Amino acid sequence: MDGTVKLRIGHLYPDLLNLYGDRGNVQCMVMRCVWRGIDVETKEYNQGDKIDFSSLDILLLGGGSDREQRIVGSELRKIREDFHSYVEDGGTVLAVCGGYQLLGHYYEIEGERIEGLSLVDLYTVQKAPRLISNIVLKNEELPFEITGFENHGGRTFIGKNRPFGKVLYGFGNNGEDQEEGVLYKNVTGTYLHGPLLPKNPHVCDRLLRSALERKYGITQLEALDDTQEKEANRYIVNRFCKNKKSTKR
Amino acid sequence: MKENRKVKPAIRDILSVNAAKALDKGLHLMGRQGTSLPGKAAIDISPSILALLSSQIKEKTFAVCGTNGKTTTNNLLCFLLEEQGERVVCNRMGANMVNGIMTAFAQAADHIGRLDAGYACLEIDEAAAVQLFPLVRPDYLILTNLFRDQLDRYGEIDTIMEKLGNAIDTVPEIKLIVNADDPLSVYLARQSGHPYVTYGISEKTSGSGETGTGEIREGRFCKSCGTLLTYDWYHYSQMGMWHCPRCGLSRPNPDYEASGIMTEQGLCFMIDGHTVRTGLSGFYQAYNILAVWSALSEAGRRETAAVTVQQLVSRYHPQFGRGEAFIIKGRKVVLHLAKNPAGFNQNITAVLEDKAPKNLVIVINDNDQDGTDISWLWDVDFDRLSDESVRSITVSGIRALDLVLRFKYVGIPVKVEENSKSAVESGLAQSSDPLYVLVNYTALFEVHQMLKRKAKLCHIFNRT
Repeated sequence: MDGTVKLRIGHLYPDLLNLYGDRGNVQCMVMRCVWRGIDVETKEYNQGDKIDFSSLDILLLGGGSDREQRIVGSELRKIREDFHSYVEDGGTVLAVCGGYQLLGHYYEIEGERIEGLSLVDLYTVQKAPRLISNIVLKNEELPFEITGFENHGGRTFIGKNRPFGKVLYGFGNNGEDQEEGVLYKNVTGTYLHGPLLPKNPHVCDRLLRSALERKYGITQLEALDDTQEKEANRYIVNRFCKNKKSTKR
Repeated sequence: MKENRKVKPAIRDILSVNAAKALDKGLHLMGRQGTSLPGKAAIDISPSILALLSSQIKEKTFAVCGTNGKTTTNNLLCFLLEEQGERVVCNRMGANMVNGIMTAFAQAADHIGRLDAGYACLEIDEAAAVQLFPLVRPDYLILTNLFRDQLDRYGEIDTIMEKLGNAIDTVPEIKLIVNADDPLSVYLARQSGHPYVTYGISEKTSGSGETGTGEIREGRFCKSCGTLLTYDWYHYSQMGMWHCPRCGLSRPNPDYEASGIMTEQGLCFMIDGHTVRTGLSGFYQAYNILAVWSALSEAGRRETAAVTVQQLVSRYHPQFGRGEAFIIKGRKVVLHLAKNPAGFNQNITAVLEDKAPKNLVIVINDNDQDGTDISWLWDVDFDRLSDESVRSITVSGIRALDLVLRFKYVGIPVKVEENSKSAVESGLAQSSDPLYVLVNYTALFEVHQMLKRKAKLCHIFNRT
């Protein structure tokens, strides 16, 4: 691939939203670019930093505790319009756990509403118990299952939006509708950590491809040797989906 | 000395203790480690038995809590007291929930439910503290540190701090001994309203950094006002010389201090003008020893603390995989328990303190006791193992394939083995260099057993 191809990844508030090995998602995207000869630059944005959305190709928003999420929410609301334009223009976003909840209208916790960014039509309500489990999803557009781990008190409802996947094992958005995450334009919202991308190279490549297409019109990615990634993924699928009840309730 | 209450065990209590003792003996005869079962039986028979036995402690009861270093701190404290001829109740195997602690008390009691012990050294799980503190009523809580640990089991660190705070509130007379370098521990102590003393390391050491190394840090933000804390330096994780630029909350001047820390040839440092030489590796061990020193001093054994710590620490051998060393086929094999990012990073530091060529084995399981969520592996700085002294890395365990990926994405090739046994064999077969084995909780027992057996065989056949 031509060396002038370059992606810029923005990691939002890594010192606040850094639960569950989120930096593994960044590492995964970076390496899968490097292995293909795609230039890649990552930039961390912390509290008070100005975010120039027009310079970014992929945005990553991780998970944090409720308190940290509150701080991030108030920071992001200040630049909500820029973020909104980025999303509507097809900018690529991966939002995990707390970051996923922030995409929506609100997160209701003990009667109080933490305002979200309303970038995607969804909302979240906290409820006991926390949903903690290994999780396996199926998305028909992807060649094999999506695997990860979920740990969330929020129940998310995505209305008419497309989910990230159908739940084969685990709880998903709310433990009721067997759906997990959300897909909206080039935004992926999900509760899956673990982190998400290393064991799901197809999801990682999907994010990279959408960013490359928007920037360069590139729709094909060079294939990589994903034997080890597939093995690790397959192990989870076999362990939790063979001869077991389809969902965890 | 505590007020010595006359204790009259009821028939039910006597039955309870004897049931536990019998079960303990039976399990031993079967060659099994029954650290929790006997205690469970005792409590099933007499729910009040733990309070009855623990009330008979004559001098002091120490509780040791905190994310990392509990077992080592608690066992070292117990070791030093025993070396001075004290009788001590101690859950030294690290079974730190209600049943495990009950087992330790039942083992120490006599057949009619009486206990003759001056001290209790109890390592207590943070989540079990609320239940245990009102029963064992510790005089002191030694809080080693607070790090992120097994989020699926314990929840976020705020939850753990709340639980510990609630536990402390159940014992009005308790005094806290906390690490001054850890802003989370200091905040917890201040908030509790209980008297507390602190220990710390007030100077930069060779391993200290002035900025973040990318290591995930808890408590970067002031717990009191939410502002980003300012650091003059870090020892590791969030431990260091900290203050809040806004509200003024800052690292207290420690009551007990270690200085002149050297790690090159076994950890060595000074406390209060005394040199402490240890055969231990790992900077973090300085905190464990300092915590023990503080506890002995607080419990009115300051003079003896000075003598015993410096003389005896060198005789203390780490146990149960907390840096425990074996000689197998003529080489050193060191077993480290590593179960969260802070602990793992510190163990990597300890491994790299040994500059000689070495091989590594890493075993990661995801059983309930380990925490079923292994995402924390990505918060460990494994890239540091690209050091040229590390000749080979072999991985195994239930989540070996996750480890393979973790290393793939930092460009370090590893070998995968079917199980922990074959992984250790493979590590030993690489070369005659020292072997370091890093494992998480459930892998610890099997690997520990195996290394012990191998070391014993080598000793018998004099093959060292």
